[in-house]
Amino acid sequence: MPAGSTWVDRDAGPVVRPYALTGGRTQPVAGAILDLIAVVVAAARVDGDELRLSPEHQRILGLCRAPATVADVASAISLPVGVVRVLMADLIPQGAIRVMTERQAAAQPSAGQLTEVLNALRSL
Amino acid sequence: MRSGPSDGPDDGLSFTAFKILIAGGFGAGKTTMVGAISEVRPLYTEEALSSAGAGRDRLSGLSRKRTTTVAMDFGRLTMSPSLALYLFGTPGQERFWFMWDELSYGALGAVVLADTRRLGDCFPSVDYFEKRQLPFVVAINCFDGAQEFDPEDVRIALDLDRRVPTLLCDARQRESVKQVLITLVEHVLVTRALEEEAEAQGHP
Repeated sequence: MPAGSTWVDRDAGPVVRPYALTGGRTQPVAGAILDLIAVVVAAARVDGDELRLSPEHQRILGLCRAPATVADVASAISLPVGVVRVLMADLIPQGAIRVMTERQAAAQPSAGQLTEVLNALRSL
Repeated sequence: MRSGPSDGPDDGLSFTAFKILIAGGFGAGKTTMVGAISEVRPLYTEEALSSAGAGRDRLSGLSRKRTTTVAMDFGRLTMSPSLALYLFGTPGQERFWFMWDELSYGALGAVVLADTRRLGDCFPSVDYFEKRQLPFVVAINCFDGAQEFDPEDVRIALDLDRRVPTLLCDARQRESVKQVLITLVEHVLVTRALEEEAEAQGHP
């Protein structure tokens, strides 16, 4: 170890800046920013190798085999939400993943849905 | 809303996610509450540091540091294969207000956790949800040895609308937290019904 340098642990932050994984991009490609609980799912016939995806893109794709939210994916791969959003947005135009539900600001849950949540909570 | 080709593995599948915010002052028990009813998982955001954080983050000597990592409490309650409830503990410090906008977007409602020893700490949360017209309940966290308060006194102290439910809770107890969430969803249903009624009268 050269003189003057010190060991650092994970508290010092990531060795690679988070947005290095996105090539420095902080905004997703075309389209609205995905909500934290937007539900995405991988397409059935997608070969990550064929699409020449980065390891991070491949991991995201793997996590979306079953419907998952942006928050689920970001938490599972321990990357900041902003970075995961950019990477997920890359996969949409390629058809690798698609957004199942993107709730509009005005669209509030129906009384039926609320009752469903209420019943589910009561039976927890 | 469904879109795109229907050749995915999701054929015949639907999945709905709902979001509830857990707000309150620092140390009010937000992490405890999320953890009592769901598995808490860390969720990070990498945010630009605003000048509002100056002096608070002890960044002197780190002049090139422009972003900071904010950790949020995040819990998922899977209720059925097609329904999940997400709980987000809101970051407490004022300089993270901008994150509240994103967190509250599309949220079902919010729980404001109150600590009676520092009741003033939950004023900003109450203000925020009132302004955004997001339905909320005030849950008074009864810590060990904390004397039991009358929820009505807290309502008066916080100058809450009489329709906003206030209740005592123990953020460590699953059953208690469950009751808080049930109260919130019931309140959302009532609020919705009242809004629809008002709308029907406004536009006959």
